[in-house]
Amino acid sequence: MSYTSKYIKQGVKLHCINTNKFKTNLMAVFITMPLDRETITLDTVVPAVLKRGTEKLKTQEEISKELEDMYGASFDCGIEKIGDNHVIKFYLESLNDNFIPEKNKNLAKKSIELLFDIILNPVTENGTFKEEYVEAEKENIKILIDSKIDNKDQYALNRCIEEMYKNKPYGLYKYGYVEDLAKINSKNLYEHYKSIIKKSKIDIFISGELNAKEIEEIVTSNENIKKLEQREPKYIVNNEQTEKKESIEKKEIQDKMDIAQGKLVIGLDVEENRANSKFVTSLYNVILGESATSKLFQNVREKASLAYTARSNYVRQKNNIYIRCGIEVENYKKALNIIQEQLEDMRNGKFTEEDLKNGKKYITSGIETVQDEQDSEITYYIGQELSGTFTTFKEYENKINEITIDQIKEIASKIKINTIYFLRN
Amino acid sequence: MGSVKLGQALRSLALKSTPHTSHLSHHNNKLQFDKKENKMQIIENLNVKEKLYIEKLENGLTVMIIPKTGIKKKYVMWATHYGSIDNEFIVPGEKEITKVPDGVAHYLEHKMFEQKNGTNSLDVLTALGVNANAYTTNDHTAYLFEATDNFYPALDELMDYVQNPYFTDENVEKEKGIIGQEIRMYDDYPDWAVYMNAIKCMYKNNPIRIDIAGTVESIAKIDKEVLYKCYNTFYNPANMVMCFVGDFNPEDLIKEVNKRLIQKPNQGEIKRIQQEEPAEIVEKRIEKEVEVSMPLFVIGIKDIPCKRQEDIVKKHIAIEILLNMLIGKSSKLYKELYEKGLLISEPYLEYEFSQSFAHIAITGISKDPDKILEKIQEEIENLKNKGIEKEHFERIKNMLYGNNVKEFNNVSDIARMFVSDYFKGINSFEYLENYKQISIEYVTEVLNEVFLKDKTVISIIKNNK
Repeated sequence: MSYTSKYIKQGVKLHCINTNKFKTNLMAVFITMPLDRETITLDTVVPAVLKRGTEKLKTQEEISKELEDMYGASFDCGIEKIGDNHVIKFYLESLNDNFIPEKNKNLAKKSIELLFDIILNPVTENGTFKEEYVEAEKENIKILIDSKIDNKDQYALNRCIEEMYKNKPYGLYKYGYVEDLAKINSKNLYEHYKSIIKKSKIDIFISGELNAKEIEEIVTSNENIKKLEQREPKYIVNNEQTEKKESIEKKEIQDKMDIAQGKLVIGLDVEENRANSKFVTSLYNVILGESATSKLFQNVREKASLAYTARSNYVRQKNNIYIRCGIEVENYKKALNIIQEQLEDMRNGKFTEEDLKNGKKYITSGIETVQDEQDSEITYYIGQELSGTFTTFKEYENKINEITIDQIKEIASKIKINTIYFLRN
Repeated sequence: MGSVKLGQALRSLALKSTPHTSHLSHHNNKLQFDKKENKMQIIENLNVKEKLYIEKLENGLTVMIIPKTGIKKKYVMWATHYGSIDNEFIVPGEKEITKVPDGVAHYLEHKMFEQKNGTNSLDVLTALGVNANAYTTNDHTAYLFEATDNFYPALDELMDYVQNPYFTDENVEKEKGIIGQEIRMYDDYPDWAVYMNAIKCMYKNNPIRIDIAGTVESIAKIDKEVLYKCYNTFYNPANMVMCFVGDFNPEDLIKEVNKRLIQKPNQGEIKRIQQEEPAEIVEKRIEKEVEVSMPLFVIGIKDIPCKRQEDIVKKHIAIEILLNMLIGKSSKLYKELYEKGLLISEPYLEYEFSQSFAHIAITGISKDPDKILEKIQEEIENLKNKGIEKEHFERIKNMLYGNNVKEFNNVSDIARMFVSDYFKGINSFEYLENYKQISIEYVTEVLNEVFLKDKTVISIIKNNK
């Protein structure tokens, strides 16, 4: 098992993960740019159009046939907010040659080439994207944006974030806005695409039982890659040190929807900027609400029987914790009181050495198994890349194991409620 | 950008680290044992280069081990052949039929973690640094954990709590609020409602109609006596399987399991009462209104459970091939519907089956689900008339083979696959072997037998505004 990374051009980085744990090779390309209200919807339409066809395989049907022929290789693309960045993600997963019935197929090479073709060599018409594809995908993105109400838990979380980050990049909805779509046409979309490819940060990940030298050769000699210019990409480094929180009055927001169960989301600010404090915060979060022995799970669910889900998660890039639970609407005050008591108990140090020990174990065993899942490992490294720090799995574990009760108490005193959001009927 | 995926219907104990809901997957070699000789069998599959060690212990418990060297995770799942559909049965040794409220199997799963000394095994396992969970499906209940460290102390705990239930009026009562909220949460999942409605359109009597967790009303009737009765009936080693995936030495592991087993007599067969299920569907179409942005649909085709055990895997593969040829990503029909804006991603295709039910489910979102149904039915007729194209058939077969190999990537997926196939009488390796043997003739036969218009239903959920 080894991980190596190097710039193949300024602003374009190749990451190789050599591992023999899987039957597959997984390739991923991430294109990163700052979140921007002006371009957020354009960013979303780009991958949707790219998946429609390449210069060689001009339709989605041809791409699908090619993937099926490659023993069910799978292609996927998507868009993510990572801190204040908008990241377009492309994945291609295919069987390692050791597991296909044919000899000398070199599926890895074929997969890399196909993935680069989809991203960098799209089918064009009169020097822009095909109008038919752009119009159809605008329609699909409208559906995608409208569908944000369908998953009620996720909707409640997004609304809470939107309220916490009003008029700030991180408050933007990752798929953009319906009102922007009318202004998008094949010409301005193609221009935007060209500029992304020319200027943005590009990270290429290749994971599998592969020879890093050979992979580098395949990547650097690829015609599409050769055409890429060097760049000084703009992107935002987010970590605990970059996130200066202003103390604000806590807000309570409620929305109504036709739902059976109320969805409570509480967004917390971590007002701490010291380097490495994120390790302490993540341990705080496990004790508060991530594991089955956590305060939220034990008190909101097990003791009070108010909820089935009662948990919290830590978003380290923006230094926020989100508490989430599903409750009967009339139990809002009751649940809120219990949750606030837990936050208070954390500040008062009402947790044990045992809690600390369990929390550490929870995190370190999670870290150890990251390498047993091909996509999780890539997600770990891209997270590192965009936070501007590099921590090996071992260092990560050590940093967690060094944390003391006093450090947790100290961080607890710096954690404040920003927004209490409730989606109800 | 994600299609609507249902995955295998299951309810897990805790939302965190819900076991992967990959679709009811394909997977293969018959599981047959010489009743007297309980020696360990080794089955090797060269396609994925993995081995299955399987042994039936004296008390009737089956142990399956799939060693994975170099992987840090060690995974164990202990499962009983008891799910939400087992609501009427005769306890071995009794004469009377026992009928229990809906949702008992799932309720029992939640309550198994309570210990007599006042601890909760989920807490104990979490404190050991292992990731523990449990889930209930319509035909089995599984208890599991994943460990990098402390594997044997955690195995002590797992085997202790699964073998020693402790129910009191108070601890049973307490769970009603929690499971009540679990049920309410699912009430807000339109994809769950659209699926359950499709099931109700297809089945008249089969208890697959019942929600795995039951209803707020049915769980109100559950008490500790019911839980003990179901526990004593279904948690007998002869009705259970244990599956390990990770860096293990199989011989040593079997010894460790034996050390921790409580001696219980092999109680004999549980008679499960099955209501007569007509071959016909109940109704063709159902529609419900909920606050959603775009209609969701499930098209169901009711099938008759496969009578010959040796045909199940072949039939499953044939149906998957057909579904992909009809409306899979590279199909003509998908292209047409995508271009017309009627589909924005490929529907999720699956064949669900057990000894008592079998059906196809095609799940997706569309602004006009009825049109999708009409088009699919047209395409089925086309396929029947024009016959199956060889090139397309081979390509889909290769794709499904590749997808099957990929399922051997992850230890938890492997364990889940082997366990759920085991209860269907299937060894997951059989699928890999069967791809080669499937012919166009056989697939054509299945097409004509299964894809019938009068067995087809559609369930739709659309906006109430």
